[in-house]
Amino acid sequence: MLRIIIEKEIRDLLGSTKFAVTFGVCAVLVLLAFYVGAARHMLYQARFEASQAENLRSMKGISDWQDFDETRIFLPPQPLASLVSGVSNDIDGTAIVRGRGDIPTEDSRYNEDPVFAIFRFIDLEFIFKIVLSLFAVLLGYDAISGEKERGTLRLSFSNALPRRDYIAGKLVGSFLGLMISLMVTISLGFLLLPLMGINMNGEEWIKLILIVVTGLLYVGVFLSLSIFISALTHRSAHSFLISLAVWVLCIHIIPGVSILMAARSVAVPSSDEIAYQKSTLGIQLAGEFEDGMSRFAVKGDANPDKLVSQLNTYIDSLNNVRDIKMQAFSARLNEDRLNRQRIQENLAFALARISPATSLSLATAHLAGTSLSLKSKFADQARDYQKSFGSFMVEKTGMNTGGIIKIRTSKACGGGDDKNKEPEPVNPEELPKPMLSSFTLGESVNPALTDVGILIVYNFLFFAGAFIAFLRYDLR
Amino acid sequence: MLVTLINKELKAVILSPKFTGTFLVCTLLILLSVFAGIREYKESVKRYDSASQLVSQDLQNQTSWSRIKTKAYRAPDPMQILVSGLEYDIGRWSPVSSQNTAKLKNSIYSDESIYAVFRVVDFTFIVQFVLTLFAILFTYNAVCGEREDGTLRLVFSNPVSRARYLVAKCAGAWLGLVVPISIPILLGMLMILLSGVPITAGHWVRIGLLMGISLLLFTFFVVLGVFISLLTRRTSLSLLTALVVWVLFVLIIPRAGIMSAGSAVRVPSVSEIEGQISGYAKERWDEFYQSMEERFARMQGAKGAEGEVDEELMWSMMQAEDSLRRVVTEEINRHDLKLREDLRQRKTRQENLALALARFSPASAYQLGAMSLAGTNLDIKIRYEETINNYRTQFITFADRKQAESGDLAARMISLSVTDSSSNLTMSGGRDKKALDLSGLPRFEAPSLNLADAVSPAIVDFGILALYTILTFMAGFIAFLRYDLR
Repeated sequence: MLRIIIEKEIRDLLGSTKFAVTFGVCAVLVLLAFYVGAARHMLYQARFEASQAENLRSMKGISDWQDFDETRIFLPPQPLASLVSGVSNDIDGTAIVRGRGDIPTEDSRYNEDPVFAIFRFIDLEFIFKIVLSLFAVLLGYDAISGEKERGTLRLSFSNALPRRDYIAGKLVGSFLGLMISLMVTISLGFLLLPLMGINMNGEEWIKLILIVVTGLLYVGVFLSLSIFISALTHRSAHSFLISLAVWVLCIHIIPGVSILMAARSVAVPSSDEIAYQKSTLGIQLAGEFEDGMSRFAVKGDANPDKLVSQLNTYIDSLNNVRDIKMQAFSARLNEDRLNRQRIQENLAFALARISPATSLSLATAHLAGTSLSLKSKFADQARDYQKSFGSFMVEKTGMNTGGIIKIRTSKACGGGDDKNKEPEPVNPEELPKPMLSSFTLGESVNPALTDVGILIVYNFLFFAGAFIAFLRYDLR
Repeated sequence: MLVTLINKELKAVILSPKFTGTFLVCTLLILLSVFAGIREYKESVKRYDSASQLVSQDLQNQTSWSRIKTKAYRAPDPMQILVSGLEYDIGRWSPVSSQNTAKLKNSIYSDESIYAVFRVVDFTFIVQFVLTLFAILFTYNAVCGEREDGTLRLVFSNPVSRARYLVAKCAGAWLGLVVPISIPILLGMLMILLSGVPITAGHWVRIGLLMGISLLLFTFFVVLGVFISLLTRRTSLSLLTALVVWVLFVLIIPRAGIMSAGSAVRVPSVSEIEGQISGYAKERWDEFYQSMEERFARMQGAKGAEGEVDEELMWSMMQAEDSLRRVVTEEINRHDLKLREDLRQRKTRQENLALALARFSPASAYQLGAMSLAGTNLDIKIRYEETINNYRTQFITFADRKQAESGDLAARMISLSVTDSSSNLTMSGGRDKKALDLSGLPRFEAPSLNLADAVSPAIVDFGILALYTILTFMAGFIAFLRYDLR
């Protein structure tokens, strides 16, 4: 009997106008999301390469490595980021790296092109979160109450049909019908990606499949929820209204509002305050630097050639001392800030997880590498690059050029070993390349597990709820 | 007859079970969004005040007129309580110095990215996503529902003209729904009044216009719902169509329009332009250092026979170099401004196309109009960057004058004298150690938005919404004329 019900359900679903129209619209939107995502990724990739090329080209005007003191590294675009934007368009994408000291960041995509921030992008996560969930609500809202209104419920139960078979059949049938049709569309979308020139490696495909699985779990939550609500009411108009109200609350209201409320209740020092504290320390350290300079003592004989390099080495050591103190202070401030931010995030997201939409956004963002950890990852990689840049500059010029005072050896003074040698022209290709790796599979999947778990739990919860509600339903 | 029909419609709406639920949800959401908006605004004001304090303290700590720099911050505006717009996406501050031209950096979303995970829910968001949905929910079965119930033929067994009936339907539903919306809106205004936020008369005018355009969007969706109910004979199909149209108008078309403009008009990224700017700068500085070397070499040649360095000559050379350095900086900045202006123009072309395409949806016309009224639209960037560049010119002129008066120099002289027994290194560069006399230093005034500048861009959007409403009503009228009433 169960199998018959499931078959009836699937056939009912696939044959209805409702399904045809909504599935048509959703299929178009899913494919649109893949197409647009692929196109956007190619655009970002082109921009990234152009920025890097321009950065290297700008160095051609320099004739001496000593005059070179800063370079820029850029956040590389990820193919999955155009399917699940997360915060990738809000965080700064350019880091200005000097041999030592702070690494300021600039240029988030939305700051650069605010026109895209007005409505944000259509990405796959958006389609899942808003459109496909509405689709699920539309398919499930009259599952029980609609059949009652049409009179077919009592007809079904004039057979020897156990209630549990009926409700299980309804749930399983709707699920199968919806999931299979969605998977067909999404597979077409998968095919679109390599066709448009996006090449992903094995790990990225796994992450994408996990993203889709999370999305389907999320849609399942709304399907089982709307069937549950349908089993609580006796008129489909009522169940539709209630389901829609829940949909609006879950998707549009709860996440944003809970983050606003919770995040404001934890005090996190702003970047302005930290900048000011650093600048105060900086002034004190600059004073110490100048005192240190006046204490310079010449060692050995006062050979003018060696003098300048002695001076440069001395200045370098003073700069190192200053840098170490500033870095220690900075690290303490940043650690404090990070800890508070972590508390803030935990509180805000815990509250927001009442809505399954939060779990969807957080899980898919972790899987795609566009969660809040992208920002700290970029900062860490910039700092690593700073070290290799610093040692590169020491290799080329004898001192790390990240300091305020820089003494250039002038040819006229006879600086350098060979009085007649031209300084070698700066070859930008020699500059160390930044190693900007993306998140590993473990780093992407582990943080997402909590939220995927929450979605599974919600599915079970509403399944069970529909079951129990139907056991007491008035079938007549 | 018209009044009777409107009365009937009004009662049907108010007495339906949907009404109480909708009323409660609307009230809750509107009040919540205003409350959150007030809280966010007060937070922005606190942030701005502490930033301004930090800026003044920072200025007091500086010791050199030649290397003086400061920051200009964007000021918060009370209108952002209702329409956050681009307030959190655009950079909060710009450096002001002789080295940099104005560039807004570090938006709130880039600094405190937790708020970027789910964007801010403001009043316009509630109007676009919730109120329009409810408008459709009440009207999708306006005509086809009556037909299914069998009451349509009963009404028309009276001498009722089709036009009157349609007008009554729209007017009745509208009147019945405006009440659930007006009460929380008025309560929201009361909240703003009582919260102590400084609102001027100009602001109230803009808020009034904002409410006007919100009601206009709502009216459009009421008329749209009635129109869709005229297209089919079954309410289930009508509901489906209405929802699909809602998704298209509110969610898809705005984004799709902007994204297609983004791919149609290619604009180089800011980092590319800045790469070009920095390349030019590096070339010029390189030339400067080369010529400095040559001068120094010539000066060495002109040394006296004892090999001593003439202090006077050194100082005059350094002064000459100072003014040359200033010339080079100015040329680099001019080049900088020119390239940024070119980029700005190309971007404007892209933006205009994007917004024109987006305006096919009445919901985006509403959002854009609301943002213009609140002053949180794309003009924020232009307005501030212009004002900051002007301020920068004043600031640098003042600093240059003070520097000339004090005889301070940008360059520093490091002289190292070595004798047999000891070495002595001194660094000099003018009077470095004490704080500057900041009286008379121009302070940054955030640009204010006057009423005309806020309202005029919104007129287009008012017009688009009105046009859409009228066209939809006319289309509904034509559809109803051929409707089978039985």
